[in-house]
Amino acid sequence: MTASPFHLGWFCNGTSVPAWAQPFSGSIGDDWQDAQIFVDLARAMERAKFDYVLIEDNTFVGDRYGDSMEVYLKYAMQAPRQDPMIVATLLAQATERLGIVATAGTFAYHPYLLARMAGTLDQLSKGRFGVNVVTGTSDRALQNYGHDGMDEHDSRYDVAEDFVRAMTALFDTWEPGAVVADRRTATFADHTKVRYADHRGSHFSTRGPLNSGPSPQGRPVISQAGGSPRGIAFAAQHADTIVAIHSSPEKARDYRDRVRDAAAAAGRDPDDVKVLFGVWPIVGSSEAEARQRADERVQLAMDNIDIPLATMSKSTDIDFSTVPLDTPLGELDLATNGTQNFALYRDRNATLTLRQAVAKEAGGAGPSLVGSVEQVADQLEAFADVSGGDGFLIGTNGVTRRFIAEVCDGLVPELQARGLTRTEYDHEHLRDNLRAF
Amino acid sequence: MAADPFHLAWFTPFKTPAWKSPWAADTPLTWLNGEYYMDMARSLERAGFDFMMFEDSTLVSDTYGGSTENDLKHGLHSPKGDPVPLLPMLAQVTQHMGFIATMSTSFYPPFLVARVMATMDHLTKGRVGWNVVTSSEDLAGQNYGLDHLLPHDERYEMADEFITVVKDLWDSWEPGAIVADRETGYLADHTKVHPIHHEGKYFKVRGPLNLPAGPQGHPVICQAGGSPKGRDFASRHANVLLSAPKGVDQMREYRDDIRARAVGHGRAADDVKVMYIVQPVLGETQADAEEIARRRNELTQDQIETILGIMSITTEVDFKQFDLDAPLPDDVTTNGHQSGLEQFRKRTQGKTIREALMGQQTEAVELVGTPASVAAQMDEVMEAVGGDGFLIRGEPVRTHSRRYIDEIASGLAPELRKRGLIRSDYPESTFKANLAAF
Repeated sequence: MTASPFHLGWFCNGTSVPAWAQPFSGSIGDDWQDAQIFVDLARAMERAKFDYVLIEDNTFVGDRYGDSMEVYLKYAMQAPRQDPMIVATLLAQATERLGIVATAGTFAYHPYLLARMAGTLDQLSKGRFGVNVVTGTSDRALQNYGHDGMDEHDSRYDVAEDFVRAMTALFDTWEPGAVVADRRTATFADHTKVRYADHRGSHFSTRGPLNSGPSPQGRPVISQAGGSPRGIAFAAQHADTIVAIHSSPEKARDYRDRVRDAAAAAGRDPDDVKVLFGVWPIVGSSEAEARQRADERVQLAMDNIDIPLATMSKSTDIDFSTVPLDTPLGELDLATNGTQNFALYRDRNATLTLRQAVAKEAGGAGPSLVGSVEQVADQLEAFADVSGGDGFLIGTNGVTRRFIAEVCDGLVPELQARGLTRTEYDHEHLRDNLRAF
Repeated sequence: MAADPFHLAWFTPFKTPAWKSPWAADTPLTWLNGEYYMDMARSLERAGFDFMMFEDSTLVSDTYGGSTENDLKHGLHSPKGDPVPLLPMLAQVTQHMGFIATMSTSFYPPFLVARVMATMDHLTKGRVGWNVVTSSEDLAGQNYGLDHLLPHDERYEMADEFITVVKDLWDSWEPGAIVADRETGYLADHTKVHPIHHEGKYFKVRGPLNLPAGPQGHPVICQAGGSPKGRDFASRHANVLLSAPKGVDQMREYRDDIRARAVGHGRAADDVKVMYIVQPVLGETQADAEEIARRRNELTQDQIETILGIMSITTEVDFKQFDLDAPLPDDVTTNGHQSGLEQFRKRTQGKTIREALMGQQTEAVELVGTPASVAAQMDEVMEAVGGDGFLIRGEPVRTHSRRYIDEIASGLAPELRKRGLIRSDYPESTFKANLAAF
């Protein structure tokens, strides 16, 4: 049986270039700072009719692994990394219909500043902008913004809750039709349709109105990645689209059901919340070639185990250089106030040693998608059939133009031929496209 | 004898172009998509401008008459888009010109400013600047959870610490930290990247910045300090200053003072370029231009609401409460824009508010005439003042239009170039280097 059509998004791991030393990465190690690879990426996504590209972000140089910045800087792991809002403007300019979603930490902005930035980007992109709201996963990020460290996990969501409410109140300060630009009455904007936000919440207060004027979508799209119960409650209430990573379609379905139930409980139409599952496919010209590359990916992780370990250190504040590699994870005391995805990682790999877990998840925490174009399309279709999700966010650890071509000029045309993904954009605005099916 | 070559720039908000102008077309409804400003950037680069500078404010004001009506009706300070996301778009459609965005030290965290500026500097290959403002409106502060801004002079102390942090973050990557060496497998050399561990009176920032500084190292710093505190701050940090002292004598006094202060801070006087805001009125003939200027200066009710509305926004004093036919009361003070209120008070000495408005002059010198005669006036002014150039401002409610831009770009600029007064090319690759070239 054929799955219903689903949405495609691109999960862009920030604007960093960890693939800089790979054979097909061109000169991105030298010219990363012009961000043209990401501009090309956006153009390709639009050609393949992706709904949106999500620019992930965190705003610090890691140093938790081995108490040094060395590994992070040596391998270009999430550093250097440019400001996603600024890069988003280039992507918006290079495209006409693709949605652009940029990440912002609730610790790094005042809601007014982010509302104005996002509102302006929505205007400049003619209604194609979204904000991926994150609460932070490392004390280090917070320390760049004057804080000592993060609050306890769930209370970070209390901050985020207040943050989004303040931002929403600001977006809502301009009623539709407030800008009239009527020369006969000499009235540019009708002040009776512009109101104050007057938000006084638990963490933020803002008077408003937003001075950047109305934005095309009213409120830019909100993206989120809540995996914990508190995170799900938050996302179900506020998000238009959610990023989730699950290796099995059954767990994915279960997660989506919980999100949809929570959305309904919050008084929303569950269909307004699109859950996209993160996938890291390897698409080869043949099955053998793809398998070969998948094996190399595992081998590479084993040969340079400090790379995957340092990645985990960055989002958990745990120094994995001091964690024994050959003791089952279930026997270790590994608590974090960082990402709660790590708790899931630890639980699902409890009987494995750290070394074994790293090997097993070298291809990412999502489902294993390896094969020819047709095979990966089969695998995605089968996953979607069971998970019932709204679609996929495709990503890779270290983007190259070659990988982009494999997806946009190989995999996606096959999905389109099967009627599984869109062949044209239905609407001008990102939110409308997300809700089109 | 002609003046030395000087710099030319444009001063504008990211706001609707003059929506009351007959040449507004559909821009009052579409300007927020940025296309008007992209066209403008192309035109000004063709004309040999050094840069476009985007001033900013972040409030819808209800000071005038206790209502947002006047601000919104005339489109005075709002709606106004955020200039930061606009800048990379303008850079994409140009190759040489610089672009300056405004960010407030009262509202941004320093890390965010350092990162945004460094990112933009990379994306534009070294063509951006930061206009440092401390903000002057409590109403803007209330959008950011602050009941009141800090007192005027203390805002500058905070700004001083802010800019120090930002510079330290830009410096947290030594030159050459990115090696991209496939042989050794190092993209960046961690021994050349350092946390800043800043703990000051106002800010606490660990660092390092999570990307190296861009081609300019420290992007161009722009400032507009008029008060003594502001002048001190500007002469310490700025590469370019915008100002509007009234008349040639005050212009020269201001520039001499800034240059002397810069030397006092251990800088070369020429490191600070002082630019003056002007609003040339151009016509086919002198008579045409004078007629346009006469109409521009007419004190209609519309114009009174515009001028007093803007004064109210920046000083947070409700000018609607005053009798137009009486002098400004003596007890009016502001924690907002101080030099603005003081200049207005000077003008009202012995006059009613209405009379003072009739002599209203926002620019440094009035320039009215044909392109050739205005070019000659600019030449004379620069010769008398000593430098360093002009910031053109299209009066935002009635003048700022593609037509006005073209009058400057295709009329005035060629006349200035013919006299050797403005650049004919951009010999350096960065904005800062082009600014420093003369």
